[in-house]
Amino acid sequence: MTNSEKTRLINVLEGKPVDRVPVICPGGMMNMAVREVMTATGRTWPRAHIDPKDMAMLSLGVKHLGGIENVGVPFCMTVEAEALGAGVFIGTESTEPRVAEYPLKRVEEWENLPSITEDHYRVSIVLEAIRILKEKCPETPVIGNITGPISLATSLIEPMDFYRALRRKPDTALRFLDFVTDNLIFFAKAMLKAGADIINIADPSGTGEILGPWAFSKVAVPYINKITDAVEASSGYAMVHICGRLGSVLAELGKLKSPVISIDALTGLRKVKESLPDKVIMGNVSTFLLEKGTPEKVAIAAVTSIKQGAGILAPACGISPRTPLENIRAMVRAAKGERD
Amino acid sequence: MDSGKLLKAVADSVLNMDEEGAAKYSKEALDAGIDPMAIINEGLIVGMNQAGKLFEENQYFVPELLLCSDAMYAGLNVVTPHIKKEENLYLGSVVIGVVEGDTHDIGKNLVKVMLEASGFRVYDLGRDVPAKAFVDKVREVKADLLCLSTLMTSTMDEMKKVIDLLEKENMRERVKVLVGGGPISSSFARSIGADGYGENATGAVRMAKKLLGIMQAKSL
Repeated sequence: MTNSEKTRLINVLEGKPVDRVPVICPGGMMNMAVREVMTATGRTWPRAHIDPKDMAMLSLGVKHLGGIENVGVPFCMTVEAEALGAGVFIGTESTEPRVAEYPLKRVEEWENLPSITEDHYRVSIVLEAIRILKEKCPETPVIGNITGPISLATSLIEPMDFYRALRRKPDTALRFLDFVTDNLIFFAKAMLKAGADIINIADPSGTGEILGPWAFSKVAVPYINKITDAVEASSGYAMVHICGRLGSVLAELGKLKSPVISIDALTGLRKVKESLPDKVIMGNVSTFLLEKGTPEKVAIAAVTSIKQGAGILAPACGISPRTPLENIRAMVRAAKGERD
Repeated sequence: MDSGKLLKAVADSVLNMDEEGAAKYSKEALDAGIDPMAIINEGLIVGMNQAGKLFEENQYFVPELLLCSDAMYAGLNVVTPHIKKEENLYLGSVVIGVVEGDTHDIGKNLVKVMLEASGFRVYDLGRDVPAKAFVDKVREVKADLLCLSTLMTSTMDEMKKVIDLLEKENMRERVKVLVGGGPISSSFARSIGADGYGENATGAVRMAKKLLGIMQAKSL
């Protein structure tokens, strides 16, 4: 029996058997809005970051043209930061939006920040895009992407100052993280209400490689878990993407409550799966290979990830807009067991 | 305290992330008549090198290394006003920055800290830096070394743009180029014509010294 895209992915998340490994690209920092899709759909960056219809149609284009088995928005990690007062440069046709100005000079000032509301213009754009996608493809999993707590915190203040504060003024830094996390939970719940099935949390600034195992387990993990709990309490599913080398925090990863852990290409998938047998490991086709390699090499890498235990096949991290669609299709064919 | 003990107290303060201690013992060392350059080289930099070693061994991470460098600067602030000829302080001058399109600068900041700790004069252009700004700064300060960083695969090609621009301006021979960052590898560095690749902050310093023909510090 073949599953629908949505049933297959949800079954994986619930630990139920499936006919084959699903192949997805959640969105957010891990999106597939490559140039070829923009050209074919006529929906381009940066407009697609600020127009709900363009945002939805671009995500749908990735699914139709690339064969990816989900839709997901937004395509960046700046929506929450902007709603919390950061200045954002919306990017170009080939570069993602990025934070250009931090609203905080010192961690103590966090109490002056506004909170995320559903009618903040970029928040409302994402929620509307989710509603459109839900309606256009009810049998495809809709993924809402949020920025991880530490990445959002370091989008509101100079990252080095935040890392310093974690050691010098831990009470203040943790209260700031509480505030950030509450806002993320608000956004995640609004996404679920708008029709998202899954919330993907990506926290590239909160990796074990940066924080070390102590701070990772004491700071990153509890806050990510708070979001996971809230998502599950609202009948959604959570996925967590962790960047960087995982060696130093392999043991800590088991404390993450999310059923899915998405990993980078820097750590061998087999090793992660071995130390976390109960988790679904998602990944980890090299994004460099996806951009520069041949379809044959991409297919080999995809098959290798599956053989090493990937429960969900996906790119290892954010992919470049110059990535050829043909390489994405090669990854998809590998998941479907089709030979080139 | 004798001078050996004082210098060790300076180094230990840096290693233990103790800003006040680093400033206090640096001052005591000055008062005891120890040469300011010795306080830097045999105290502050020794402590920072030890911190760098722990970082490489995965015992210290970014927050710890940052606090060590804060302590080192606290000591430097006390000592540097007492140095007569400032130019003798530096092994060479370095321009560093994150290429255009990327605002991730944690790695770049660590490399900057370690280069400064090792005795380079560092001009930091920050992040999201256009190719022309790198080339202009290299020309302005007659830099010996240019360090380019990116964390994103989507902006790797910007590095080549900088190197191409250096060539176009006939400046490529004058400056060594070192690249690094999450998606970068040594083969990528070679493929775009860079002189070297730094796999992490301490590796970047080693490579910088190698490229500029500087002997590795004995204390490392």
